[in-house]
Amino acid sequence: MVWFVGVDVGGTFTDFYAFDAERGLEHVYKTPSTPADPADAILNGLDSLCEIAAIASDDISRFAHGTTVATNALLQRKGAPVALITTEGFRDLLEIGRQIRPKLYDFKADNPPPLVPRQNRFEIKERVGSRGEVVVPLEESTIAEAIDAVKQSGAEACAVGLLFAFLNPEHERRIGSALREALPDVFVSLSSSVQPEFREFERLSTTALNAYLQPIVTRYMDRLKDGLQPRAPNAAVGINQSSGGLMSIERAGEFPVRTALSGPAAGAVGAMHTAAQAGRQNIITLDMGGTSADVCLVRDGAAGIGYDQKIADFPVRLPMVDVNTVGAGGGSIAWFDRDGLMKVGPISAGAVPGPACYGQGGTEPTVSDANLVLGRLSPAGLLGGAMALDQKAAHAAFEPAAAQLGFSVEKAAHGVLGIVVSNMVRAIRAISVERGHDPREFSLMAFGGAGPLHAIDVAHALDMREVIVPASPGILCAQGLVVSDLKEDFVVSARIVADMPGMAETSRHVATLMAEAENWFAEEDVAPDRRDLQLSFDMRYVGQNYELNVLLDGVVDTSSAPIAFDCEDLKQRFFTAHEMNYGYFNPDDAVEIVNFRLTARGRLPRPTLTETEMTQRAPDPVGSRTVYFDGDAAVDAALFDRTQLLPGQEIAGPAVIDQLDSTTLVYPGDRARVDRAHNLIIELADAT
Amino acid sequence: MKPTLDPITLEILFNGLRSITDETYIALTRSAYSTNIKERRDHSTAICDADGVLIVQAENSLPIHLASMIGLMDSLLAKFGRENIHEGDLFVANDPHVAGGTHLPDINLALPIFEAGELVAFVCNIAHHADVGGMVPGSMAGGMSEIYQEGLRIPVVRLFRQGEMQQDLFDLMLLNVRLPEERLGDYYAQIAACRLGERRLREMIGKYSIDQLRAAFDDIVSRTEQRMRDGVRTIPDGVYEFEDVMDDDGLGAVDIPIKLRIEIDGDSMHADFSGTSPQVQGNINVTMNATQAAVAYCMKGMLDPDIPNNQGVLNVCETSAPEGCLLNCVAPAPVAARAHTSQRIVDVVIGALAQAMPEAAVGAANGANTTAVFSGIDPATGQGYLYLETLGGGFGGRNDRDGTDGVQVHITNTSNLPIEVIETEYPLRVESYGLIEDSGGAGRYRGGMGIRRVIGPIGHDCTFNGAGERFRHEPWGIFGGQPGGRGRFVRVGADGAEQGLDIKPAGVTLGAGEKVIVESPGAGGYGNAAERDADAIATDRAGGKFSAEFLSTYYGAIGSGE
Repeated sequence: MVWFVGVDVGGTFTDFYAFDAERGLEHVYKTPSTPADPADAILNGLDSLCEIAAIASDDISRFAHGTTVATNALLQRKGAPVALITTEGFRDLLEIGRQIRPKLYDFKADNPPPLVPRQNRFEIKERVGSRGEVVVPLEESTIAEAIDAVKQSGAEACAVGLLFAFLNPEHERRIGSALREALPDVFVSLSSSVQPEFREFERLSTTALNAYLQPIVTRYMDRLKDGLQPRAPNAAVGINQSSGGLMSIERAGEFPVRTALSGPAAGAVGAMHTAAQAGRQNIITLDMGGTSADVCLVRDGAAGIGYDQKIADFPVRLPMVDVNTVGAGGGSIAWFDRDGLMKVGPISAGAVPGPACYGQGGTEPTVSDANLVLGRLSPAGLLGGAMALDQKAAHAAFEPAAAQLGFSVEKAAHGVLGIVVSNMVRAIRAISVERGHDPREFSLMAFGGAGPLHAIDVAHALDMREVIVPASPGILCAQGLVVSDLKEDFVVSARIVADMPGMAETSRHVATLMAEAENWFAEEDVAPDRRDLQLSFDMRYVGQNYELNVLLDGVVDTSSAPIAFDCEDLKQRFFTAHEMNYGYFNPDDAVEIVNFRLTARGRLPRPTLTETEMTQRAPDPVGSRTVYFDGDAAVDAALFDRTQLLPGQEIAGPAVIDQLDSTTLVYPGDRARVDRAHNLIIELADAT
Repeated sequence: MKPTLDPITLEILFNGLRSITDETYIALTRSAYSTNIKERRDHSTAICDADGVLIVQAENSLPIHLASMIGLMDSLLAKFGRENIHEGDLFVANDPHVAGGTHLPDINLALPIFEAGELVAFVCNIAHHADVGGMVPGSMAGGMSEIYQEGLRIPVVRLFRQGEMQQDLFDLMLLNVRLPEERLGDYYAQIAACRLGERRLREMIGKYSIDQLRAAFDDIVSRTEQRMRDGVRTIPDGVYEFEDVMDDDGLGAVDIPIKLRIEIDGDSMHADFSGTSPQVQGNINVTMNATQAAVAYCMKGMLDPDIPNNQGVLNVCETSAPEGCLLNCVAPAPVAARAHTSQRIVDVVIGALAQAMPEAAVGAANGANTTAVFSGIDPATGQGYLYLETLGGGFGGRNDRDGTDGVQVHITNTSNLPIEVIETEYPLRVESYGLIEDSGGAGRYRGGMGIRRVIGPIGHDCTFNGAGERFRHEPWGIFGGQPGGRGRFVRVGADGAEQGLDIKPAGVTLGAGEKVIVESPGAGGYGNAAERDADAIATDRAGGKFSAEFLSTYYGAIGSGE
């Protein structure tokens, strides 16, 4: 027996998904999260899971974990006291940033105060120029002074960020090793290790964040490692990164900033895996929970990667699964703005008091209340009836708004759902249409507690034809962890014109990246037949300032043969990307490469689908529910229990399919069927 | 008969329109060539209705562009009339005096959208090109006394006529600017953004009826206007006055007064700038619509920062200034540096309304658009280069917190260029970049600090041009707050000797080894310094932002740390 275990820590629950690759068995387990020390819920939960599922500790071969420790530490500003060593003349760089205000018209909107207070930012005499040349040498005596200052500051971690260190990391490395030697208890983050790319503020900010998180995340990882040792002695432990791949527990301690968006990334990986099982290559994900919805575009089986994100309002430059978040969830509150327009969210009723229908004192109308008023949610409530919903309270919450609109309560509730859908549509357009992708060529994969309730409306608004609801929409992140690969991203930042003379240098940079990847494969013990490489260049027209990430499919393989590049081919790929993103390109203008990126993957064995029998037998409804599919009239919809549905079965709308943690609507005219992997595939009637 | 839209349908339509302007805004940022657009985001996108009424502007659009959009529409419709606007036309303009612009580098485009042969809307954008010709590279330098010297003047003309590019005209436009290949890239980006907006608007027209869309246009503007009026009604009725001065115009005029009298009456307001200086020889003059845009920015900021950007806001902000004065200039007044004056208009409006709106008022901000321009020949390539940057400074102290340090204020919010980009693209070295000690005015809540940058050419001679404001007159504090520090330009010789430069220096040659110190102003504090919180003073001291001497001068014993 070989068990893979995925553990995703959420705000409310810690989810477990265990899979036995040999026998095709799976188990799902949920336990309340323990925010004070998330490892408690993980370790105790693992004990319970193993007991329930009769998993022997020796049989766990992989343990994959998505953590929110870094994210929460950032949001709550609970990281460690940090010092910064930077080039003389530039200690305010971290504070000035891009010198812009977050909101143009708001006199009171500010950027967050820098994580390193000014008295902990120390300048050091040194300077590297724009070609990587040393302009002012670094003297040993100044290193000693800086180290002394760091020591006096009492910082637990020290970021080192020098100008042009991405071209020449020598000065940073010398300071780093001197720091480690003199102050072994202080964590060190070098900008040339964390993310060696140009644009000093973003690199510095990312490095300072990393340092801020190092102590707390390392302590957490150590505790987790100790706890797992007796419980899963043979398990390879992988920590999920924001880029949607696993890294070792040691690397997670070294580069904790890479875990800051790991939750949404795991969801995207789970969705990709589910899509593959359903035979779909192109999907848009809709993960809608209580306060927000995450959307992500997957094309040709791969999620888009973005390099600029903000985490807790701090800019971070790292490869991250390109997830767009919008304040639209079940708890989002409907309200009238000062000009009388109705808005929904981003304010949320949260878990307490929660929507009015939770009966915990909430009185404002929310999206969940609207769903209950319209019969879309079962009054018996969530979690299989463990939490009944108060229809009267939901109705009452909508009465004032309905009166103001001159609408029936149902029509007002339906309108609120229309707005929340339009907000999600806008978020999806931003990652699809605005980047040259046509949503009609994608399936919408809905998960999270509220995703399947709204998916059909979202799909209709975007003229999408198909909605997929995974078998267990509530634990897709934990499933994603089990199917994640080991992953590492390498980058060289250098400006090279894409012409004949530039190709030699291009080959040289790529060779450097390949060598780094080779080392990593060896370190991580990845077998040769499990290695994958993906090359991409950030390119732009000479004179532009934003680059497009251009994928170079099929250009590199894991043989170590040197690669010759064809500049015409490179330019053509860039033109295609420019046309796709901006609607035009100019074939005569010079093109340059600014970043060379290589992603290395160690493919891990994945759970495979066991053969399931397809049945032709029609499913039996367990009852019926009166549902408003539009705002004016209710219809009787057949009600199904998801757990009773079998592969091959079909359901014609109108229908409602309830399951433990989610509800799926099938509109009149639409058809749902259960595929081999127990996914629901809903075909929309002719898109209007 | 137009349908009246309910607040839900309207919100969904409005959401779709905002989505279009935001998408075109980002597309323009990312595909343009001019630093002003791609890095400093000096551009805007909008949709206007068939009557030229501004319906929606991208969220990050600049306030001053609100004025240009409307100015362009007025000029376009007045010149051509609806009957002479055809499908496939694309209009271009930049002139402040005859085409509603605010300065020449802002190139305005408007694409009329037709449905079933009828004009429905205009998709517009504005972008600040790095050069529009004229006497000096960059088309922004001071020292000129007529707009003819500032660059190519373009009245409202068709760049495309019924689908056909007017190549003759385009050739003429490009011949009159420096680096025409780059400008061509900017035009392409702008045209592509218009076409993108058209495509998106057509998709919306396909989903909804034209009547619904028109009803949405009208409702959006009238609801915004009502919302703005509701805000104005919260200001006590009365007459509020304030006066401030501009340092100079770069051509000899100094202490140029700006005088304001605002009358609030119920939900109406009128800002009257009578008594303001006549227009000046230098390039800090402002056209009337830009003056109104600055007033509207300030009213929005003080009353309701989240109110949508459209004609409804401007309808409420009635503004007047005598024709031919600094704030309502007439041809051939030069206007390139009107941003400095616009910043001052904002300070003056805040100053006037401070007593009536103490919680919304802030100390005077750095009040400038501190500009530093370096140009020369790159010795490595033999090619000419031009590097323009505007520096942020202090933001005024607020009623509940300090002013922000080193930030762009009020009508500008342009990003800086990373040092690693400056030094890679230009033969320049930045020696330091930081906040200026003691530059934030003391107060219960102190003013923000100015920025100092030291920069010079590597291995060649270059030319430095600059433009500053609040270099003579400090940014004032409010409710007893102290003024912030002044800005300055200093030239540092190879031997380290410092020489003060003019407020708007032109044509300063810097040799290898020489450099310029650029210091932007700080900002005024809010409230009496004696009321400053002891912890805040401790932070001022610990971070080294203020000297011991400064702290003990303004905060006495607590300040000196005893």
